[in-house]
Amino acid sequence: MSSAEGRGRTVDEAVDAALIELKESRRNVDVKVISETPEQTLVEVTVIDHTAAPAIDSAPANGKAEVARGLVEGLLKHMGVRAQVTVRTGSEPITLDISGRDLGALIGWRGETLRALQSVTNVMVGRHLAEGERIIVDVERYRQRREHTVREIAMRAARQVKMTGDPITLDAMQPFERRAIHLALEGDPDVTSGSIGEEPERRVVVGPRKPAAE
Amino acid sequence: MPGRAAAGRIRKAIALVNSVADGAGDEDVTPTEIAEAIRDCLELSEVDQVANVRRYLGEALDAVSDGMPADFVAMTLYAALGALTDG
Repeated sequence: MSSAEGRGRTVDEAVDAALIELKESRRNVDVKVISETPEQTLVEVTVIDHTAAPAIDSAPANGKAEVARGLVEGLLKHMGVRAQVTVRTGSEPITLDISGRDLGALIGWRGETLRALQSVTNVMVGRHLAEGERIIVDVERYRQRREHTVREIAMRAARQVKMTGDPITLDAMQPFERRAIHLALEGDPDVTSGSIGEEPERRVVVGPRKPAAE
Repeated sequence: MPGRAAAGRIRKAIALVNSVADGAGDEDVTPTEIAEAIRDCLELSEVDQVANVRRYLGEALDAVSDGMPADFVAMTLYAALGALTDG
């Protein structure tokens, strides 16, 4: 799996620099922000290996993952969807990747259909899972791409907050997107993130971190 | 579009249930709030205009009071939403 580091004034610029070096498109890579200062951002960009053998073949036998994979594969077959279902290697919680052509309908409006598919999967596999354990379902790495996108949005918002000192309210987002933002900003000493509003209009607010009271 | 208000309320109930299942860690949704959101759906006469919508919503409400997993409640609400949008 090849990777490259990229530098730039913004996350976007840094990612673009690494993509040029890798000769890859943004869709095929994972992005990790290594450091970020007002002057420069450093990212590590890793190419996702789509050609790797399905993880279920190479990973140690994982009964629950295999049960889930088989059930989702059967469900898709009944739905008339031609797609391949694999278990993502080294992923915790268990993540099923669905890949194929023209799977937009399986994602749906703002990921609604994908979320429904995940609910059905967890209900079907439920008796094989421990308390609190869940299966994540992803279609063409939609969730992963959304997480990358919202992390970039979080970084941009954080930069803006540091410059102006004013809080920024982001668009309404799903829980997994809000969690990605909270995690992306939790280590930042200068900004803090919280949420306001009610589902499904709940929004993340990024604001300046106030110094602890003396 | 007929059923738009009902669809909006069902989506709100689904979002509440999903926030319990996915856990962003920034809110604490109680079963009572989910039950209230489902009752809000049942108050609309639109849910009687399409077959099975009221039945699925009733099943979702029962599932909440029975303490069923969030994914089960979500799946039942998706069934109601699907019936409404197909109907």
